[in-house]
Amino acid sequence: MPLRPLLFAAAILAFFAAPQLLPEFYLFQICLIAGTALAVLGLVVVTGLAGQISLAQSAFVALGGYGASILAASWGVPLWAGIPVVAVVVAGLGFLLGQMTLRVAGHYLALATLAVTAIVQLALIHWEALTGGAAGMAVPPFEIMGRALTSGRELYYVIVPVTALFILTAQNLIASRFGRALTAIRQSETAAEAMGLDVLRYKAAAFAASAFLGAVAGGLLAPLSTYLDPAQYGITYAIYFLAIAVVGGMTSPTGAVIGSAVFVLLPNYLQAFQSYLGLVFALLLLGFIVLRPNGLSSLPWLRQAGALLHRTTGPKP
Amino acid sequence: MTEALLRIENVSVRFGGLVALDSVTLEVAPGSIQAVIGPNGAGKSTLLNVITGLYTASGGSILFRGERIDGRTPHAITRRGIARTFQNTELFGEMTALENVMISLDRFYAYGGVTAAWQGRHYRQIETSARDEARELLALVGLAGDENEAAATLPFGKQRRLEIARALATRPGLLLLDEPAAGLRAAEIDALNRILLDLRAQRQISILVIDHVMPLVMAISDRIAVLNFGRKIAEGTPDAVRRSPDVIAAYLGEKAAHAVGS
Ligand SMILES: Nc1ncnc2c1ncn2[C@@H]1O[C@H](COP(=O)(O)OP(=O)(O)OP(=O)(O)O)[C@@H](O)[C@H]1O
Ligand SMILES: [Mg+2]
Repeated sequence: MPLRPLLFAAAILAFFAAPQLLPEFYLFQICLIAGTALAVLGLVVVTGLAGQISLAQSAFVALGGYGASILAASWGVPLWAGIPVVAVVVAGLGFLLGQMTLRVAGHYLALATLAVTAIVQLALIHWEALTGGAAGMAVPPFEIMGRALTSGRELYYVIVPVTALFILTAQNLIASRFGRALTAIRQSETAAEAMGLDVLRYKAAAFAASAFLGAVAGGLLAPLSTYLDPAQYGITYAIYFLAIAVVGGMTSPTGAVIGSAVFVLLPNYLQAFQSYLGLVFALLLLGFIVLRPNGLSSLPWLRQAGALLHRTTGPKP
Repeated sequence: MTEALLRIENVSVRFGGLVALDSVTLEVAPGSIQAVIGPNGAGKSTLLNVITGLYTASGGSILFRGERIDGRTPHAITRRGIARTFQNTELFGEMTALENVMISLDRFYAYGGVTAAWQGRHYRQIETSARDEARELLALVGLAGDENEAAATLPFGKQRRLEIARALATRPGLLLLDEPAAGLRAAEIDALNRILLDLRAQRQISILVIDHVMPLVMAISDRIAVLNFGRKIAEGTPDAVRRSPDVIAAYLGEKAAHAVGS
């Protein structure tokens, strides 16, 4: 199909053209959308595919942001090296948390993961020596090859490609036996086990993946915001991510981007409703749960566009 | 006498005060079709669930190919060669029939995360082989045209057969079937009988089948065990079981006793 290389070329062109054409404000918004989408992608894996509800994404994002920033501030590890290292450690924590699903499911899992978010937030506030406590901490600039990337215009070249890479990778993994296994587990854990799948290991791996993606997202969003405020990484943020996943489409990586775009951009157009923003998002979430439970990415024209971008869809041999 | 493929020895299962299985001993000989029958609540499904590791035995032991399997996880037991279907079908409803079968097969067509992320030629070859074997298994149970149907949308009889295809995809030595004939019409039961006999003849798969429906059990079983209130009350060839007064009284009931007697 000649359409796909064409689309890829167009995407590359758009990627390099955007910084030339758009003002800083929009580039900053694009970075924010990409970073948020990365965190939501983690939820697509663990909640959308594997069916394990998680309100711990806020904690993973916080750990990624704080972890990389502390490494940089206290030990001089540059963010580009610190973020992946921290993400791997946080993925390990995610794996351990996933082991909990042996005993906890459904509503109780929601509560247990919520507790993780609460605990991490408390730790950030009280471990003042390391985190700056309730006052928060400044994020060292993202330095690469002797250059400090400070604006949205500069960070754009890091955040957007990293997110694109993870979205495409996730899409391929979802189409493979790994995505099949998680989907099967969501539909029936009993049957999945009986067909020889190590369900607990898959669920723990899904939690690890969500933690990894959340931490990378947190690490990339930190230099964008330049300042970390522990108040941000609470329960509301965890629900914010879930709401985005629902609106975008729980099982769709591209849906994570679409949902993030809606939630990041909408406030700009609702200046007049600033104080009702929470209500607008809540209504959006409710509306989608009731009317379009598969999210925006299930809209027919968006689905077709998604299929074009994806290698294995289209007529099967 | 050859060693049993599966040997259940004095196995008991308790739910609180209820004794669902009471010191049951049962063997499945290699290459045989063993049936277990019994009235509602006799403990038949419990027997399958304790063999496959879904329930834990409160006493006794279970040996498969001479090795203890009780206490192992369900997926470990499946990987050793015991596959099963569920009484109230447990399909992956939103997935296609083909994908349902591939879930069991994927283990034999493994590749790593990097291969899956890259999706190169090697990946496509492996996936194609897996898909081909899944197609064969679907054809074997008569679902050749239904590969891309969502499992939940298939008619009931086809869902039953999809469960068998999916279980076969784990490449078992022993297949456990929980009331595979329930709700099927006579013609469908005949087709099922033929499939099960072919499996034994062509794939050397032994079968433990649970049923209410006597025609299925009578027609294809080598031996029949009868459960009642968690106890094994009789065992033998179909003919012997049919004649056993205990079975007629406890299981078949008065009406059936008359029917058999006449
Ligand atoms: N998970 C469970 N928890 C509590 N009690 C159970 C459980 N599973 C089975 N039982 C009880 O154990 C007994 C045996 O049930 P089982 O499902 O094995 O019967 P069955 O022979 O398969 O019956 P049916 O013909 O209705 O399928 C029943 O009294 C049932 O209520
Ligand atoms: Mg039963």
